[in-house]
Amino acid sequence: MNFSDQRKGLTVQQIQTLERWIAEGAVWGRHWAFEPVTRPQLPPDAPHPVDAFVVSRLKAEGLTLSPPAPRHTLARRTSFDITGLPPTFEEITRFEQDDSPDAWEQWVDRLLASEHFGERMAMWWLDAARYADTDGYQRDDTRTNWPWRDWVIGAFNRNLPFDQFTIEQFAGDLLEGATDEQRLATSFHRNHMTNGEGGRDPEESRIEYVIDRVNTVGTVWLGLTLGCCQCHSHKFDPIAQRDYYSLTAFFNSIDEDGSAGRSAKPYLAYTSPHVAPARREAESLVAARKTRVDAAMKNGNRRFETWLFIRTELTKEPFQPWHLVVGARLEATEGTVLTQEVDGTVVASGPNPRQDDYRVVAPVTLDRVTGIRLEVFPHESHTKGAYSRGAEGHFLLTDVKAQVRRKGDTQVRDLVIASAVADHSDDPAKHEGYGNIVHVLDDDPRNGWSTRDETEVKRHVAVFALATPLKLAADEELVFELRQRSTLGDANLARFRVSVTNQRGPAVLTVGEMPLERLWKLPAEGVEAIPDDLREQLREQYFADDAPVVAARESLARAKRQLDEVVAAEKVEVMVLAERAEPRETHLLVRGQWDKKGDKVTCDVPPAVAPWPADLPRSRLGLARWLVSRDNPLAARVFVNHVWQILFGSGLVRTPEDFGLQGERPTHPELLDWLAADFMENGWNIKRLIRQIVTSQTYQQSSRATAELLARDPQNRLLARGARYRLPSWMLRDSALRSAGLLVTTVGGPPVRPWQPDGVWEENFMGRFHYEPSDGPAQYRRSLYAFWRRAIAPTFLFDTAQRRVCEVRLSRTNTPLQALTLLNDVNYLNASYAIAVRAVRTSREPADRVREIFRTVLGRVPAEREVRVLLRESEKARQQFEQSPDETRAFLRGVSWNLEDGAPDLVVRLETDIERADLASAVLTASLILNLDEAISHE
Amino acid sequence: MSESEEFETLRMRLSRRMFLGRGCGLPLGATALAGLLARSRASLADRGPAGSPLAPLLPHFPATARRVIFLTQSGGPSQLELFDEKPGLETWAGQELPDSVRQGQRLTTMTASQKQLIMPSRTKFERCGQSGATIGEWLPHMKRVADDLCFIKSMYTDQINHGPAMTQFLTGNQIPGRPTAGSWVSYGLGSENRDLPDYLVLISKMQRPSDQPLYDHYWGSGFLPSRYQGVKLRNAREPVLYLRDPEGLSRELRRGMLDGLAELNDLRYEESGDPEILTRVRQYEMAFRMQTSVPELIDLRDETEATFELYGPDSRRPGSYAANCILARRLAERGVRFIQLFHPDWDHHSRLTSWCTARCRDTDQATSALITDLKRRGLLDDTLVIWGGEFGRGVAGQGNWDSPEAGRDHHPRCYTIWMAGGGIRPGMTYGATDDFSYNVAEGAMHVRDLHATVLHLLGIDHERLSYRLQGLDFRLTGVEPAQVVSQILS
Repeated sequence: MNFSDQRKGLTVQQIQTLERWIAEGAVWGRHWAFEPVTRPQLPPDAPHPVDAFVVSRLKAEGLTLSPPAPRHTLARRTSFDITGLPPTFEEITRFEQDDSPDAWEQWVDRLLASEHFGERMAMWWLDAARYADTDGYQRDDTRTNWPWRDWVIGAFNRNLPFDQFTIEQFAGDLLEGATDEQRLATSFHRNHMTNGEGGRDPEESRIEYVIDRVNTVGTVWLGLTLGCCQCHSHKFDPIAQRDYYSLTAFFNSIDEDGSAGRSAKPYLAYTSPHVAPARREAESLVAARKTRVDAAMKNGNRRFETWLFIRTELTKEPFQPWHLVVGARLEATEGTVLTQEVDGTVVASGPNPRQDDYRVVAPVTLDRVTGIRLEVFPHESHTKGAYSRGAEGHFLLTDVKAQVRRKGDTQVRDLVIASAVADHSDDPAKHEGYGNIVHVLDDDPRNGWSTRDETEVKRHVAVFALATPLKLAADEELVFELRQRSTLGDANLARFRVSVTNQRGPAVLTVGEMPLERLWKLPAEGVEAIPDDLREQLREQYFADDAPVVAARESLARAKRQLDEVVAAEKVEVMVLAERAEPRETHLLVRGQWDKKGDKVTCDVPPAVAPWPADLPRSRLGLARWLVSRDNPLAARVFVNHVWQILFGSGLVRTPEDFGLQGERPTHPELLDWLAADFMENGWNIKRLIRQIVTSQTYQQSSRATAELLARDPQNRLLARGARYRLPSWMLRDSALRSAGLLVTTVGGPPVRPWQPDGVWEENFMGRFHYEPSDGPAQYRRSLYAFWRRAIAPTFLFDTAQRRVCEVRLSRTNTPLQALTLLNDVNYLNASYAIAVRAVRTSREPADRVREIFRTVLGRVPAEREVRVLLRESEKARQQFEQSPDETRAFLRGVSWNLEDGAPDLVVRLETDIERADLASAVLTASLILNLDEAISHE
Repeated sequence: MSESEEFETLRMRLSRRMFLGRGCGLPLGATALAGLLARSRASLADRGPAGSPLAPLLPHFPATARRVIFLTQSGGPSQLELFDEKPGLETWAGQELPDSVRQGQRLTTMTASQKQLIMPSRTKFERCGQSGATIGEWLPHMKRVADDLCFIKSMYTDQINHGPAMTQFLTGNQIPGRPTAGSWVSYGLGSENRDLPDYLVLISKMQRPSDQPLYDHYWGSGFLPSRYQGVKLRNAREPVLYLRDPEGLSRELRRGMLDGLAELNDLRYEESGDPEILTRVRQYEMAFRMQTSVPELIDLRDETEATFELYGPDSRRPGSYAANCILARRLAERGVRFIQLFHPDWDHHSRLTSWCTARCRDTDQATSALITDLKRRGLLDDTLVIWGGEFGRGVAGQGNWDSPEAGRDHHPRCYTIWMAGGGIRPGMTYGATDDFSYNVAEGAMHVRDLHATVLHLLGIDHERLSYRLQGLDFRLTGVEPAQVVSQILS
């Protein structure tokens, strides 16, 4: 028999391993991770505990530590690891020149004391905590739990010991004399998704949340894949299904009911101290924008008065508000025959299908089209002398569409209709949803426009305003489509007329007279004769077309919306934990199904992990204390491993989510245990732990990989070199902004919206959510504060946790989409621009500029051969930019988006093409350097 | 880049995933690894970075389909109106659904408190083509291609709400976080096109806000590396996020910048010895190529007038389902492995006759045209086309069954999908439902059976395509038994 053909059979190697194990006495102990943490002996002369274990392992392999990394590299490495931000060139230089014996310790301590430390750690914790600003699932409503995020930052910054950090997040509400801050901490266990979908059973959702909490505890504190036990006892680890459901009992009596959105109680009414700065900033932006609007209006008014004078005193040309669409091609999908009469009226005859789509296709000679008018006429030949040939004589228009088609072109383009008004609309509630004119814009045949409530049979009018004025080329045609697809049918228009106008603003927002129409009909002549209300209408009409006024008003409106949001954030409801008065019974769920209740269970923990101390309350508080008790073998090991992962890119256990039998064994078991024991015995002090690790030689090694070392240990499990890997994407954005001097370092506050391409939310939600990037300095906050919609993570991030369920393992891929993001995302282009402006200001010589940009981003002086390459490309770019001044202007306009408000000191007014070409080539150089592997790597 | 460097890069990647047993699910001994590496080296030259790490191991057996076009109809199209004719229901109209049929089936809370009164189909059916397939009157164009399709009337799922059901339909599991079928296929087979991603997603542009969002985990790679996730082709100025260079930057300047970037990165590689840098240089080059290949792909100006006639008037409107069907064919021509369209808003809780017909109008002609077009171009033979949604709809009317207001609620116990091409037997109907289209009567096909069958057509044994994570070997088809439905294979 050929064993190698058996898929599930043992390999030769596995057989050998078994043989060796038997030969060695077949020792059968407990899995390492469930053994108590004891502090291994250090050799008496060990210079540093971390190095002692690492070096002894290396010695056994015939290897040594790599030489220390250059100070410059070390400065960047620690700065990224501890604060998530790069140091400046000046900081690095000072550190390099500092020859005091404790220069390194001082450098590290300074970083640990920075408030950016808390932000860096919080970003890690938020991934683990599956924190997001929306509920997830179908509705994906916004929640306001961000004060919890600020609590996390604060906790790390004040070095709250990890045991206390745990206790407060599990049971802050159960502590004696619990403060609001401690209650706030419990929001950790409310960061799960909540489901508000229509057909959902709330109890099923509630049970999902309870289960999510237990799975999160399993991953984050125990490093166990408890999720397996939802349906059956763990196949590998000593956790029974009963143990699992006993754990759920701790979370089963929260005063929640499975609701989502704004009714996901229990809540804590909370006033955040971090809103005030955001409010001040938003208010000053509004003030600045008001000034801008005032200035634009002032100039605009002069233009308006001139225009009005010309209009009334000089030209006096007759005004025609609506222009008939004549000579149209008429189409009907279902067979109605449409013909046009001389006055432009379209008449239906022939077959009378239940539903039909009419299309009016015509060239338009008007200089532009801003609105379309539809007139509906009654006629004696129609049923009851009304509007259609259907049984009742009324009409039901379900949708309208406007498109442009170029002759000979195979494709059409859709026009956006911004608004629809009519002289009369039925109340939809009285007519199965049909009635309101605005519903003809929603592409939904279950509603639409009708006029049945109007007893008098007469001409009806609807006016549609285009979102942007349309200029048709000579060979283009306007397509206006009338869809009649109602559920009931039999109500197709029999007589109608289409006209267009070139007037904007109030002219197309009502069905009444246009301002210019009124002006034209005014009995008296001259500007003086214009009544005030008409003058105001005319002014609005004029401003609707006045680009500077429009732009200023839009920018003010955005600033006001931003301010409104900030004001609304002053008092928020944060989802927290609180017990209900009457505890729920907890049951084992058969095969994990929410409605298949098995045996009753009570609060308990898996005995295989650690025993339950008799004096602990059977509550979340007790559970937290059990997790961080000295006897718990997992929490400290798992945490220390996370910190190792933060500092080395991978943990000592390479499966941070799984310390169980299916996880990997630690590369350095004794080191892990020593660190875990030391951590617990020194008050779970996080900063101390980090300091301890980064002061080792192991951490400070060079990351250079020789071919031999790569072949020998491709994954660097032996730690014979420093870790080199691409930084997380959030750090890349933050560090680009930091290098550019754009980063706004305010800590905490309501979420902000960094730039992302237009339309991303709309596409996934079919238009239900709109993303508006933050305006002004709010644009340049750290990525930690970016609004996180669960259905679509921020687009400028990649390889990120999805924040749907708890994730602690890092993903690190290398794709073309990442390259495109770093090359073209406005966040990075903005940074490139800012870096270039500074370089152009400080250095005149091209070579100096290149050096300056290089130093700004990478914190070191470039080698000559690096300068040569950069200079070559920047010179080529400069020449080309100089030859194409229009493109150069467009380029600079695009990459300097938002800077006028976001960083006014960076706005430069350039006079000549040469100056612009200079700056543009510097921008491109900065972008190149920001994309260098060195710039995006932990080295 | 020299072959040895390229080999080295691949070896690094492979070793990271396989050497230590993470990722491939096959226990590999050192000898096997050496053999595998030797083979990969031989095939490297023509595969390049787009290749799958499993390419040397796959296919497990000869494939009949080389690519998939998955026409995902989100919301739950009604089988009772479209395909599953139940003429006998007329006599049951307005009567309560017998308990013997319902068998305690769970309802959504939208209709749980309502009497389950039977609403016969709102459409008339016709027997079409040689095969005599039953197709409802709302899909006139589909009738013409009936003989090319294989209808599966006995699909079923475990989930009754959209999010979980669609997640299961696409990933095999109701909870988000698993790779989709497209990701698995991309992971397993890689791409035949070096200038485009392996897995592309197209979403119909709708004017109406839909109640069912399309989450990005519907094309996510779950725990597989993110390079296997679906790339969404957007109907926007920028079809792939960040594809467009900033305004005013010429191709020539971008080229120069990337040359400089590569040169400096090479210097860094010399100093650091990190092979990941070489991979990065290649990914920037792929990005550069995509900047040309994607706009070419989506530019339909080189399509003939006849094509637009075939796909219908809506195909002239960029972003429409019909236009996306033309794009799907173009992607198939370019060798993209997994092409997934999403058409939302099939959730007809009310007013079937206007709501469901609206979605039929959006899709009928273009879907039929796609089959015709693929066939004419000889692409249908090795392209598997799948049409279907996350569940079907129930026989009881929602709202007053006798009014035009009535709709239908979700129904997971049976629904209809169809497949065509790529080794599927054309002109057949597989499986059947009971007299109420309520339960499967024969040939039950679970979502995981569908997945197993799709993988089979692509030459993949669904039990052998796995990925090790958190101590488990994850598969698209999960742990419960899944069957390749051989009756529908040609």
